[in-house]
Amino acid sequence: MPEYLIFLLMIAIFALLAMLLKLPIGVSLAFSALAGSLLGGEGIALRHLVEGSFGYFDTILIIVTAMIFMKVLQASGILDTITSLLLRTFYKKKSALLLTAMFLVMFPGMITGSSTTAVLSTGALVAPVLMKMGLSKVKTAALIAMGGILGMIAPPVNILVMIMGAGVDMPYVGLTIPLLIIVIPLAVAISFWLGYKDIKIIEYEKMRAVLPPSYHQQYGFRLYLPLIVVIVLMLGQSILPKIMPDIGIPAIFLVGSLIGLGCGRSFNFFKATQKAIKESTPILCILVGVGMFIQIMTLTGARGWIVISFLSLPSIFLYLGIATSMPLFGAVSAFGSSSILGVPFILALIDKNAILTSSALSAVAGLGDLMPPTALAGIFAAQVVGEANYFKVIRHCLMPALFELVMGVGVLISTPLLDKII
Amino acid sequence: MKNIKNKFISSLLVLFILVICFLSALKFLSMQKKEAVFPSEDLTSKKMLSAYLQSLKNTWGDTEIYIYEGQEKGGNLLITGGAHPNEPAGFITSVLLVENIQVTKGKIIIVPRANNSGFTHSDPQEGNPQRFSFETSTGRRQFRYGSRLTNPVHQWPDPTLYINPAGQKLSGTESRNLNRCYPGRKNGRLTEKVAYGIMELIKKEKIDLAIDLHESAPEYPVINAIVFHENSEELAALALMDLQLEGFEFSLEFSPKNLRGLSHREWGDHAHIMPILLESANASHGRLKGKTSPALIVEGKDKNYAKAAKLGRLFVPYGEEGVPLKLRVARHLAAVKSILSSLEELHPEKRIEIKNMPSSSKVRNTGIGPFLNPPN
Repeated sequence: MPEYLIFLLMIAIFALLAMLLKLPIGVSLAFSALAGSLLGGEGIALRHLVEGSFGYFDTILIIVTAMIFMKVLQASGILDTITSLLLRTFYKKKSALLLTAMFLVMFPGMITGSSTTAVLSTGALVAPVLMKMGLSKVKTAALIAMGGILGMIAPPVNILVMIMGAGVDMPYVGLTIPLLIIVIPLAVAISFWLGYKDIKIIEYEKMRAVLPPSYHQQYGFRLYLPLIVVIVLMLGQSILPKIMPDIGIPAIFLVGSLIGLGCGRSFNFFKATQKAIKESTPILCILVGVGMFIQIMTLTGARGWIVISFLSLPSIFLYLGIATSMPLFGAVSAFGSSSILGVPFILALIDKNAILTSSALSAVAGLGDLMPPTALAGIFAAQVVGEANYFKVIRHCLMPALFELVMGVGVLISTPLLDKII
Repeated sequence: MKNIKNKFISSLLVLFILVICFLSALKFLSMQKKEAVFPSEDLTSKKMLSAYLQSLKNTWGDTEIYIYEGQEKGGNLLITGGAHPNEPAGFITSVLLVENIQVTKGKIIIVPRANNSGFTHSDPQEGNPQRFSFETSTGRRQFRYGSRLTNPVHQWPDPTLYINPAGQKLSGTESRNLNRCYPGRKNGRLTEKVAYGIMELIKKEKIDLAIDLHESAPEYPVINAIVFHENSEELAALALMDLQLEGFEFSLEFSPKNLRGLSHREWGDHAHIMPILLESANASHGRLKGKTSPALIVEGKDKNYAKAAKLGRLFVPYGEEGVPLKLRVARHLAAVKSILSSLEELHPEKRIEIKNMPSSSKVRNTGIGPFLNPPN
């Protein structure tokens, strides 16, 4: 059976199971992968299905531990206290609030290269403030999701570029300015696009009415200790790698969570953990299912067929191919998109400056974190604001995503000019 | 009643998962079993890498080292294969050398599985087979197709950002890539220790020339190439001319000074030897590859790559007939031979004399099987 037919049948089976039979997305993906394995003449490729499911093992650990950390921040009163602090500071300063919120969300992404980390850590801190200042739940989530993605692209740590660089032997140097050129205008434009109209400057009394309780008086400085420890450990890995031990992002979140146990209100840690696992299980299942799906796509040749199809586009359509395929492939993962498509696209544009090309491609690939069914940034941003339907969040991300896409492709096209300027 | 039913279903699911775990674990664990290598009768000695770095002993980083020493003194050559276990031409070329050669002058040290841990697993989402095989006169010999990286079971977790021993910033997974970890760290991560152990070997065995055998995806620009350090510039240029006379097309690539952690850069900078890295075209670890199978590894036929070549997207000729492993191994063998001839010409006192080296033209014509020793 031709690869494209196997791929189309896998998609059809997935749609049938997920939409008609209403099976969970993760389960539907697993069954469609199994079907693909049978259709591809591989029988029940058990080893491949299990191996594929481990493709997101580290991501899964980050999600679980970040969710636990978020629950600890909530339960211990840290979240309320910081929301209160931010509200008191910014209730009269709309632009400053939007830019600060955007920077705060981006920050963990900038130092870890992970949008999920950004959305689930500082995203959870700024969301209540934005909502109390009048921004709707879904727009708040959209701002957090886009902030997470921009943080992932921003320097100093852009894993997407590192992955592409490894594929073409390009050292990770000289990327700060190109990445800032892409990210700064986007951060400003997107935060204002999503928030400026809706966020209201409020009177002091009105602000006091929506102010959550602050536990600062009660617990003092130690209340902020979990956040400080997490930030120091994350920053230390980037700034002082020779001194600071790199224990990995999951361990950092766990350390922060355990410290949070004794820093604020007392709470049942076991129950907080249980809740975190329960809420993250659907997305973890999706990641496992996507892992199986992509492994079977590769095994049967469907992945190669997709890559060669996009590379076969005439040169004038190459940018269109980049603009569509990289975000679409992000449904698998933005990192996967960088490796599988980013590297061939850099090579297809080899006559241009690879630093600028990879920076621009990372902006396009980053949008993959909005692409269902994984849509890590969208799903977790929805979870942070308590929105059950993450598609509503994705809908509000469409225009900002278009800004980012135009910026990415624009930089790609104007690479010769930019090369002379910077 | 409903509660009992739910518990029953949950128990069944747990049981089902346990069965899947057990069955797949058997498959994964089978990758830990090493393929046998049958050295030629002229093997002088066999050591483990831990002889050069004690802390590698009883770890998955420890690996066999085959030493062939001639009666007469001459140059000392190191050949490493399997730094990336998903690049089989490097591994198989070193196995062919171990199983056939006789050294009469100088010394040759061969490390077929430089990253031994990388042979014990395969990359998720790459869909690769675990093994490929060749027919010999008395039976089939199987070889593992591993991963570019050290097994995460042996080295985990990856850092967010990896700054390698040479100071290069890389993505975290590269901390498990042996050819980004040179010159290694004595007390570092497992892969860094392996790199350090190889550096120690180079220094203690007074290696003059080292050849690191690799493969690249056909869409990668550095392909069918001799990558050289400034210390090996003349040697590489001379070898290239010799290879062209033999009918092999290679490109010469200078080892970039700002790309740190790779063998061709750090072996030269830190041990002051003449390092060379060889690349051939391997479709099975490319991003454009079609259906994966042992045949793709051995025969190298891939319609996607043939199409990409027609579209001008590759840096190497790739027709419908593919680039079989026997040709890739033949290229490596021819390059090793030409490099040794060039060494003799440039440094006669470092001459290395080998007998029974598998001929590249014969490997190309008859395949790899006839040059492998039959399984005992």
